[in-house]
Amino acid sequence: MAVPTWSSSLKVLVRADGTAQVRTPLSLVITFALPLILLVATGLGKNSAALGGPEFRISLALTVGLVSIGTVGYSLAIARDRDAGVFQRLRVTPAPTWTIMVSRWIVQLGAVLIMAIVVLVVAAVVAGVTLPPQDYLLTVLVALLGSAVFLSIGQAIVGLIASADTLNAAGRLLYLPLIGLSLFGDTDRLGTTVEMVSRWSPGGCLETLLSAAMGATTWSGQLWGPLFASFGYTVLFAVIGIRWFRWVSR
Amino acid sequence: MAGEIAIGDVDARAHPLQAKAQLGVQLQTTSFHSSLTLVEIVRLYAGLYGVTLTSAQIRELLVQINLQKEASKRFRELSGGQQQRFSLLIATIHDPALVLLDEPTAGLDPQARRQLWDRIERFRKEGRSILLTTHSMEEAQAVCDRVAIMDHGKILTVGTPAALIASYRDDPKVRQAAHGEVTLEDVFIALTGRELRD
Repeated sequence: MAVPTWSSSLKVLVRADGTAQVRTPLSLVITFALPLILLVATGLGKNSAALGGPEFRISLALTVGLVSIGTVGYSLAIARDRDAGVFQRLRVTPAPTWTIMVSRWIVQLGAVLIMAIVVLVVAAVVAGVTLPPQDYLLTVLVALLGSAVFLSIGQAIVGLIASADTLNAAGRLLYLPLIGLSLFGDTDRLGTTVEMVSRWSPGGCLETLLSAAMGATTWSGQLWGPLFASFGYTVLFAVIGIRWFRWVSR
Repeated sequence: MAGEIAIGDVDARAHPLQAKAQLGVQLQTTSFHSSLTLVEIVRLYAGLYGVTLTSAQIRELLVQINLQKEASKRFRELSGGQQQRFSLLIATIHDPALVLLDEPTAGLDPQARRQLWDRIERFRKEGRSILLTTHSMEEAQAVCDRVAIMDHGKILTVGTPAALIASYRDDPKVRQAAHGEVTLEDVFIALTGRELRD
């Protein structure tokens, strides 16, 4: 019996994982509801301008979406399937092992792409923020880079924590600081140290790049720092996540 | 690790993917994507083995295992017996030369167990090789041509169920374990001891 090609295995896995993603209510809430609620909520109230301009609100909404998808949605889905034995079953088929994980990443990148487009459309319709076409393209590309950062963080979490229940708790604990740090990269209301830490956190770097992509700041030498830091975070956490990942939970 | 594993003429260590393509595997605790329906799971695993099935063919396969009414259900919504029947279907969807069954009837009621034995018997008649692991000596005696009794990773004895019973029938330990007619379970107890296992 011939072994199917890796591309045909990947194709059927992506179709199955994509269907599963769309049918999971939690993933839909995480992907769309949270960023959109934040986008609208940060525009309300008289002190909303203190957080930053409209581009900052959009980049914050995108960052929240990316953090949610990567550190909560992705890692929890992987941990639950691992606990249930889904990976164990897939690994006895002739599909190359790497296709099982790459399929998950492709589906998450697809979710990020759709989330970014939805947020940008809602921002245009509700907040009246429109961008030149090249800025839209750049924003989506930066969002995809951001998804690599947070998926690698999710991979590291699921690599280091074996049980889905523990991971659920740890993911929530990590989620708030990651979001919180993203909030104060553009303001020194909590002091310059918090601002500095926030600016160089994974979320802070991403927001800086997103704001630049949306034309709020011009591309300058200062942006190379957050760009390289984002690549660095991705490589670091991906190495940790892949090195310690186990396909079975016990 | 010493020794070699060959599936047909395929060296399983040198060519693991080719070896996996020849194998049908039913794990002891199997789970599939929790959000997918039975039809979608069949399509997924058929695709992973390079088998193309039409919707009508998938329906026909589900009819064969009497799960046609459950086609739109999720795997977790099935009963234990239905889950095992479905898992066996997935394990043999690519018509493998060798089927590995890891405790396929664990936790099943007698009816479901007998039904599964019938399916295993059908595979055997179709000329497939079946490697079955079980703690049920009743099952081994009922469906196996050859039995290897293992303890702590070592094979203690190998033979047909009838030959094993015949050769150990007069062993004092077997006589002590037997309640009336000597069974394969008495032989198993005599060879592996009465102590409880973890």
